[in-house]
Amino acid sequence: MQKKNIWNTAVIVLIMLYLLVPLIVSVIYSLFEKWTDVLPEHFSLGSYMSIFADPAFRSSIVRTIVMCIIPIIITTIIVLLALFVTTAFFPRLEKYVQIICMIPYTIQGVILSVSILQRYVGSKSFLSNRLVMLTGAYCIIILPYIFQGIRNGMRAVNMSMLLEAAEMLGASKLYAFFRVVVPNIISAVVVSSLLAVGIIFGDYVLVRNLAGTSFQNMQIYLYQTMKSDSVKASAVFVVIMLVTCIIAGVVLTLQNRGKKPDKS
Amino acid sequence: MWAFSLSYFLLVPEKKNMKKEKYMYLLALLPFLLVAFLYEIVPLIMIIVNSFQPDSGGGFTLENYQTVFTQLLYQKAIRNSIKISLISSIAGILVAFIGAKAVYHGSGRLNTIFMTLLNVVSNFAGVPLAFAYMILLGNAGFIVHLGQSIGWDALAGYNLYTSNGMAMIYVYFQVPLATLLLIPAFRGVHRQWKEANTLLGGTNGIFWRKIGIPVLMPSILGTFSVLFSNALAAYATVYALMMNNISLLPVQIAGSYVGEVKTKPGLGGALSVTMMFIMVIMILITNGISRRFQKGRA
Repeated sequence: MQKKNIWNTAVIVLIMLYLLVPLIVSVIYSLFEKWTDVLPEHFSLGSYMSIFADPAFRSSIVRTIVMCIIPIIITTIIVLLALFVTTAFFPRLEKYVQIICMIPYTIQGVILSVSILQRYVGSKSFLSNRLVMLTGAYCIIILPYIFQGIRNGMRAVNMSMLLEAAEMLGASKLYAFFRVVVPNIISAVVVSSLLAVGIIFGDYVLVRNLAGTSFQNMQIYLYQTMKSDSVKASAVFVVIMLVTCIIAGVVLTLQNRGKKPDKS
Repeated sequence: MWAFSLSYFLLVPEKKNMKKEKYMYLLALLPFLLVAFLYEIVPLIMIIVNSFQPDSGGGFTLENYQTVFTQLLYQKAIRNSIKISLISSIAGILVAFIGAKAVYHGSGRLNTIFMTLLNVVSNFAGVPLAFAYMILLGNAGFIVHLGQSIGWDALAGYNLYTSNGMAMIYVYFQVPLATLLLIPAFRGVHRQWKEANTLLGGTNGIFWRKIGIPVLMPSILGTFSVLFSNALAAYATVYALMMNNISLLPVQIAGSYVGEVKTKPGLGGALSVTMMFIMVIMILITNGISRRFQKGRA
């Protein structure tokens, strides 16, 4: 048993190292003025000072966070409702919901943005608002991840049995779904939302094509600085990673807090 | 007879009510359908319509598809895209399976740290990822310098700017995504099954081969099709490193919409439809295999 624990720890540590190396190298790169040999030279925080002195960078952080939260809330709710209906009442429809949820892979990025732009840019209603288009596009782009995560969770808990049990105890199906099934799959919901944060944070193509470079979020800012100054760009990159760490930390804390009442 | 007709009168109205109630629940599908229609289905239909129209506008033509399937440039793009997607998805699933299994067996703080890291790193794609790999493995990258100073040719001569070199980056962004999707699935592998297996004299290897993996298979296949599409449509990373100098489907599609001289929505549409077709085939294949595993389960 002891031996097995060591093996599991080793596996996790190895994967973590593999994932961390590019990040660590980028962090070191941002802290030095010159790195043309094995070891970097001239430690300096100048790159960080210059980006935080820039008001455009600070407002780009706010724009990014807002554009993350709204689509994730919308998509999580509509997918939960849709999967509730298909699993509880119309199992045959799940296939079609799945197809709708999987299609965004093939039209994601360039194609999705160009097609939405073509469709709505000439519209006279609020649909032609660039931020509305971007929100809609983000809802679609995260759909597969939210769907897959929630469905994997539902498969693991045997949802129809839970619903039946709750119904026998007098709960309506909708009530049972939100009070019994959702709390049981909350870890899947949270994990898929975390994935969605990552996708929207990492998006460059959609925001450029739909909102344009005038809607300067962190990715646009990164791309623009990358062209002029790679050390400064690596500082922007590190800040993006830090913001993501904070969001992830907050969500995971919330998840753990949500679990506690169950235990008592 | 009496009992039969009595039960008939008692049961039918209730059944009807239940049916009505059941269809009321369809309303909960509406928000999903509204968003999907506005931002996915309608734009998608427009792209398909475009692909059957000449760029001069109006009429019907198959010209665009003819171009896609006869020109070497586009054939190569299709082949390269499928190849890099398959290789990176399989590599990603293998690493993710080992990782998620370790999380399943392990517990406590290391798991929490691991999950947090996975989430942070799954954001690590597109432009920033290309940038980091440039610093790491580019022509003047850190690892290339390291390889030169310790005399390891495989590292010193690493060329990031080829489709094989790019495969490294693809695998990198597949691993966290795959692991995050597989971890919840492992909760469906009940620990009692493992005890039962041990009591019946099964080894650990037998448990995973005969019980664990078959139970997980629907989730593994679902994750695989997520990864495949993810790789097939990856654009920002490739573009940031290679601009338009690599033959991959998304690059060709973007090129025909954001052309330097004039846009080619017809050709772009045909290329997009081809890409969607590849994707749908992959989903059908994985669903087909998945169904077989679920049948065995029931």
